[in-house]
Amino acid sequence: MSGIFDTDVENAWCPGCGNVAILDAVKKALERTGKAKHEIVLVSGIGQAAKLPHHVDVNVFNGLHGRALPAALAIRMANPSLTVVVTSGDGDIYGEGGNHLVHNIRRNTDIAVFVHDNQVYGLTKGQPSPTSDPGWAGSLQRSGVIAGPFPPLAAAIALGCGFVARGLAADVEFTADLMVRAIAHKGFALVDILQPCVTFNKKNTYEWYGRMTYKIPPDHDAADRVRAFALSLEWEERIPIGVLYRRDDRPPFEELHPGVGDPPLHARETPPDAVRDLLRKRLFTLP
Amino acid sequence: MGIDVNIRVTGGAGQGVHTAGGLLCRLAVAAGHHFHATQDYMSRIRGGRNAYTVRIREIPVRAGRPQADIVLSLDPANLPRTLVSLSPTGIVVCDLPAGGAGSADPRVIAAPLKDLAVSAGSPILANIVGAGIVARALGIPPETVDRVLALEFKGDFLDKNRAAARLGGEWAVPRVPSGYSLPEAAFHPRLILAGNEALALGAVAGGCKFAAGYPMTPGSGILLGLSADGPPLGLVFEQAEDEIAALNMAIGASYAGARAMVATSGGGFALMAEALSLAGILETPVVVAMGMRPGPATGMPTRTGQEDLAFVLSAGHGEFPRLVLSPGSVEEAYALAHHAMEMSEAYQVPCILLTDQYLADTVVDADPGDFPALPVNRRIVHGSDVPRDAKGRYLRYAITGDGVSPMAVPGEPGITVVADSDEHTEDGHLTEDHTVRIAMVEKRTRKGEALEMETLPPLLAGPPDGEVLLIGFGSTKGVIAEAREILSVEGVATAAVHLRQVAPFPARAVSEILDRYRTALTVENNRTGQLARLIRAETGREVSGTIGRFDGLPFTPGEVAERVKERL
Repeated sequence: MSGIFDTDVENAWCPGCGNVAILDAVKKALERTGKAKHEIVLVSGIGQAAKLPHHVDVNVFNGLHGRALPAALAIRMANPSLTVVVTSGDGDIYGEGGNHLVHNIRRNTDIAVFVHDNQVYGLTKGQPSPTSDPGWAGSLQRSGVIAGPFPPLAAAIALGCGFVARGLAADVEFTADLMVRAIAHKGFALVDILQPCVTFNKKNTYEWYGRMTYKIPPDHDAADRVRAFALSLEWEERIPIGVLYRRDDRPPFEELHPGVGDPPLHARETPPDAVRDLLRKRLFTLP
Repeated sequence: MGIDVNIRVTGGAGQGVHTAGGLLCRLAVAAGHHFHATQDYMSRIRGGRNAYTVRIREIPVRAGRPQADIVLSLDPANLPRTLVSLSPTGIVVCDLPAGGAGSADPRVIAAPLKDLAVSAGSPILANIVGAGIVARALGIPPETVDRVLALEFKGDFLDKNRAAARLGGEWAVPRVPSGYSLPEAAFHPRLILAGNEALALGAVAGGCKFAAGYPMTPGSGILLGLSADGPPLGLVFEQAEDEIAALNMAIGASYAGARAMVATSGGGFALMAEALSLAGILETPVVVAMGMRPGPATGMPTRTGQEDLAFVLSAGHGEFPRLVLSPGSVEEAYALAHHAMEMSEAYQVPCILLTDQYLADTVVDADPGDFPALPVNRRIVHGSDVPRDAKGRYLRYAITGDGVSPMAVPGEPGITVVADSDEHTEDGHLTEDHTVRIAMVEKRTRKGEALEMETLPPLLAGPPDGEVLLIGFGSTKGVIAEAREILSVEGVATAAVHLRQVAPFPARAVSEILDRYRTALTVENNRTGQLARLIRAETGREVSGTIGRFDGLPFTPGEVAERVKERL
């Protein structure tokens, strides 16, 4: 890799962390888009995954836990010429920010969302996440997780998300390819990336994912929503990776919103005459 | 002081109370007079008891009063309540069918509003029939009523409305006394605006290009104004899934270079507190319009209060500078919204516009000259004006003398903008270096000090020293001014100071003013005297007392005057 997107920010991840592989995939994918640094914005929330943007030399918005999506939406609305990519963890996007996930899939905002899904809260040291397997005992849920796991891909397909895929941190090339396609997709694109947490998740390890996952065969019709939904429910026996569902018939939010477009908001002026016209409309005069 | 007629339209939600009240406001202006209108409504879609009160004078009016001279009662069931606040010499025009049982009270005039409305073409026009009766009681010529109606309605519906108003006017003679006739006056074009509308217009005039919000009374009116008046000037509006999203959206848009705002009320603002803190550390300009209503929690959703002063001053974890402005009139709502946009960007701080339901829903006629198109000074830097490190990378948080770092926006070749909610280095990347931490805290603090240098001074009215000083912030401005007039007539000289900015607090100016009066009383719509506490904290001076009101209704001038006299 040429390293054009490298930064000199110190790495805060554990040795062997899946985030390192996801970072490689993100940089590869961004290079393949052919975009210049200034045309890309990486948006994240909080957590180990959300530190990723600091390692990529592009525009960065590292906001609040769970709140990457509202910021990403507004950046797109303010300047639709920017390529906006969200990278954050499963706790961030599926837990704290779940409401924003639901409503931005509904909006069909043209952003690509990469969720580093390690089924655990790593930075706060080992609590179960929304995607933790039932029965798994982490701190704060010591007798094992009772709640059923949040099914991100099934939920996205149910909500009509136009690009729904699953990547595997360990397979950088495969995941980078999914990322390139997600970024190219016109509309909301979700890539859930299976990511081992080498410190806190001793169940869903590199070895476990290697054994459980299989690549979705090329004859899968990704436009078949019912078949895609069935695929999204596979987990106990084996886990499909690749593009589960895609539809291109729905225009993105930015194209439908009447105010969004050229010029970007920062370049729009406020002519005094236009202000006077606005006030004149409120002036009460007798005909 | 000439005429002073207080008209109240009452009825259930859905009966056209607002339409009839609004029509009477315009008729007053058309007749060359001035008005102040307030709304008192219940938290429901249909039914209940709503009131729209229009006070008409020959001079601009900036406060209401409780006793009505003329009541237009669209719902007879409300009559007993209506009579409680009726002047002894007042009249009630009440919708009672001809031949039906009337009221024993001689002030009640039974008027067949619905019957006349049906004759005009539709029973829903009962409110317009009633407005026609009131217009006749005010001596407003039918031709004027016709002209004003033509501004609001078109075609067949205009004809029906005109017929309804005319039937009402004809019915009124000679059944309704003419003691409330307005003197003749020359017509002047006026702006007719509610506080919420003026605030939204000021923000749009201040270059606001992005707004988001989740509906909540009384902030919704600002969102309505922004979504209606903003788009012609390039504003984009988005209804958010919740208030948390709304402020995070506005901050995202601001990062991308748009002047951005949200509007809400106390409960929604509570949800925004974390994002307010985000704006503090990201140093993204953003404006939050916060319309207060009584709490705690859901409280009284459609009523007024000033209970959230202490909350907005401290909301958000951590220490960061903020600007809090508290407009006291529709003119100030417009001017301060523009000022908020300018200052928020100049110092890259969050700015809160603190209003309340009373100001939000107060409608007045205003001098168009008080609503200028002021310049919008954008401060985005480009190219060679962008501070960079030795490797040529943009330093979003460059350490500067006044703490304000030149702000570039993403999208410009050769620049990447890095903004981080963690403590960060000058180039925006997260750090745990304590030396950098100190430098960044000091930088943000210096911005606050620079902001403080531009604090809007409090507005003092009345003698520069003496016995009594009344102190208020926000919506109490007009009420206190009129209370002073009442006291003056009764031989009690008072001064008043209006705070249109509460953070940074104008401590020196307020201290100097306080020292010149024997008795200083805060007037505030809360129970615990939050403004008095703020003054003590900021100036070390104790006020003599607080005139508080916390029933959900605004102060009235007569009430404030009485309560001042009790303290003397």
